[in-house]
Amino acid sequence: MPCRGRGRFSLLLPLALLPLACSPGDGGSTDSITLYTCVNDESIQPVISQFEADNSGTEVEFFRAPTGDLNARVAGDVRSGGLKADVVWACDPLTMQGYVDQELVGEWTPDNASGIPDQFRTDDYVGVAVLYMVAVHHDDVPAPSSWSDLAGPDYESVAVSDPNVAASALGALGWFSQAPDYGLDFYATLEDNGAEQVSTPDEVTNGVAQGLYQAGITIANSGYLAKDEGSPIGVVWPEPGAVAIYGPIALAQTSADSALAKDFISYVVSEPGQQILAEAGSYPTLPGVEGPEFPADAPVVYPDWPTITADRDALLGDYQKIFGG
Amino acid sequence: MPSRPAGLGWRFGVLAVGAIIALLVALPVFRLVYVVWTEGSASLHEIFGRPGLGEAVVNTVLLAAAVTVVAVPMGTLVALGLRRADVPGRRWWRFALLLPVLVPEFVLGYSWTQAYGRAGFTDTILGLPWPSVLGPWGVWAVLVVNTVPLTYLFAAVGLATRAEPNLERAARASGAGAASVLRDVTLPLLRPSIAAASVLSFVLTLGSFAIPQVMGTPAGFGTVTTRIYRDLSLGSDPLSFVEALALALLLVAIAVVVVLPADLWLGPRLRITRVAHPEGAPIVTSRGGAGRWIAAGLGGYLLLGVVVPLIALLAAAVTPAVGVSPSPSNWTFDNFLLVLTSRNAEALGRSAVLAFAAAALLTLLGGCVSVLERRRAGRAMASLVTLTLVLPGSTLAVALLITYGRWLGSGLALILLAYLAKLWAFAHRPISGALDRLPPGELQAARASGAGALTAARTVALRPLAPALLGAWLICFVTALHEVTMSSLLYGPGSETLAVVVLNSQELGRIGPTAALSILLTLVILVPAVPLWMLIRWLRSPRRVRGGARSRSLAHAH
Repeated sequence: MPCRGRGRFSLLLPLALLPLACSPGDGGSTDSITLYTCVNDESIQPVISQFEADNSGTEVEFFRAPTGDLNARVAGDVRSGGLKADVVWACDPLTMQGYVDQELVGEWTPDNASGIPDQFRTDDYVGVAVLYMVAVHHDDVPAPSSWSDLAGPDYESVAVSDPNVAASALGALGWFSQAPDYGLDFYATLEDNGAEQVSTPDEVTNGVAQGLYQAGITIANSGYLAKDEGSPIGVVWPEPGAVAIYGPIALAQTSADSALAKDFISYVVSEPGQQILAEAGSYPTLPGVEGPEFPADAPVVYPDWPTITADRDALLGDYQKIFGG
Repeated sequence: MPSRPAGLGWRFGVLAVGAIIALLVALPVFRLVYVVWTEGSASLHEIFGRPGLGEAVVNTVLLAAAVTVVAVPMGTLVALGLRRADVPGRRWWRFALLLPVLVPEFVLGYSWTQAYGRAGFTDTILGLPWPSVLGPWGVWAVLVVNTVPLTYLFAAVGLATRAEPNLERAARASGAGAASVLRDVTLPLLRPSIAAASVLSFVLTLGSFAIPQVMGTPAGFGTVTTRIYRDLSLGSDPLSFVEALALALLLVAIAVVVVLPADLWLGPRLRITRVAHPEGAPIVTSRGGAGRWIAAGLGGYLLLGVVVPLIALLAAAVTPAVGVSPSPSNWTFDNFLLVLTSRNAEALGRSAVLAFAAAALLTLLGGCVSVLERRRAGRAMASLVTLTLVLPGSTLAVALLITYGRWLGSGLALILLAYLAKLWAFAHRPISGALDRLPPGELQAARASGAGALTAARTVALRPLAPALLGAWLICFVTALHEVTMSSLLYGPGSETLAVVVLNSQELGRIGPTAALSILLTLVILVPAVPLWMLIRWLRSPRRVRGGARSRSLAHAH
């Protein structure tokens, strides 16, 4: 019976292999915190690396996922012993406010948060990066000068992103719905003129670059990246202003005593942290720190997030009557 | 074999597998029900009364039905066509037909939009766009292409085990035409296999997410799974989360209504003890070039379904920016270099080991259910392991997180549990089909000659079952390696899997790197698939089977 041992081994092999897959690296005694975030890898990694380099013996472990998965993970945590993050870095205030309302995060902001403009912070969280909703247009059509131009006769096909999926689109919807001369009628006119809804701002950019749409509403980072790579598009900051959506960071309430978690938040809000973030391609919130391309005197407007939070369902319901879905 | 009284070992087996089913399937589903009941029972009428939900449910059921009524006949026709000896390259086609399964689901959907959409490949080259590719028709077409390999496999196994070549010959000799033989002899014998393929196709489409999300949502076509995704996206308030879970349970309820009666009815009818020719019963071929037409049809199907979309993807991968012409002067490999990093390679390695382990355990678990379901005590097991197949990945991940997260935390152990729960039915169904072909007499003879149960199983059962076990392992390995939704939600610090890399690339929103990564992912599967295909062919080759049988006879004689 020469094969008996081999048979047993083959049964155990899959289990024996698992530790190989589970080896994240060497252990060692380090002070560590866990960060939950939806910020993309290219932006978050340099910030974490620099923080760890400045604070030897510390480690920032992180779980990074799109907002939907982040919400699901947090909801799962809450129902299985509590939030497992020390710090949460979200991509929009609406998501963060939901966590605050569940008493998962908040009740602390760092002292240096006072340097961040009021419109980017609350008593529970502080904005550390901004997404600007701007207009993109194909090179074959003239650049719009104001948002209302997109609803005019010069543009037969315009792309917008889905506010049910992208918080940046929801921020824009919230601002337009309250802005004088716009309101939800702006979206109705766009739709009447043949505008189409896609999922994300990146799809808007790609659609305009491919020539599927003449123009669209997207985020500035996406528009500039495509333009710099050679896509035939232009990026415009229309009047009365690009819509600013900030990504806030907050301390988990269960980590209120974690000095390292507080240090990390303070670092991201500080000038060096904001500088690293800016170099990684994000727009910082701290005035004076130079970020990606930002035209001189570019107009900017700010959505009223408390109102959007309160009216979200009605707002999305009314929007759904226009674009369906 | 079925009439023997249950021994201690048998009872232990039923109890052990029953316990694993309870841990992997029943408990997580029960936890979902509990959360929905305790946190949302007062709002259930509001949740199920929300505008658009009825439409999403109708869309989901209609889509599942529309995919099933086309994919099942197509798979059956292909299997029937490939029985003919006059189809050129018959053995190659059998492998090529599995190509759509080897391409990740999200890649297939995305590549179709690049191939046939406005400003896509056919639009740019030939001026022939298919605007409806984004919308219900596109979703339906891609899901059909993705499902046909599965229905083909079921029909091929059915033909191998159930066809009655002598009956067919008798009918032909009595003057019946080819169509009459097909209608009156072959198809009635295949009916249980066709019904089983229909159930699995329906259930898989109910739970499909990536293709409806990529191709349906932009056109306002929503399904229950895309609605669940939407609820989770804006779901930092508890009610949206509960709504997502309630909708997932609705899918489970629909699956129960379809799967349970089908399994109870089909189970006994699918079981046969007769041994058939392992390559499927050969039939007399007619002249007239029909074989060439079949090969041409298969070629056209693969060309339009997989090859053109992959070429479009390749064009996007070698183009420096969106909107730039994919002419040779513009080609670049920058996008490939961008995704070929050591960190991505580590993630791929981790995913490969995880998928390997999951596939091995799943093959074992699938085999256990296949054996146990042949008795009354284990009959419901097959239906139960199908329930988690229909749960959308995100919901199953949440269910496992809230059931075991407290003890296991997050990371690869939880991801492994998720793979086992989600793919158990995938492993079980092909093995169950192959077990029917096992000659019970040989097993009994081995036991009567003094061989222990394990030795008898290893020396007698394992060899003829090897192709099916390898097939089940392969389909689980490929699916686990491609899996994105669950692992991206369950991974822990320091244990990033391929899913994290894929999602990061997609989220950056750049078509070039995403296309490059998709091409590499497809190659990662395709390259090892060729030697594996050759290995399966060798295992199934009649010469080897005959040789194995001869050596067994010699062993018995000694």
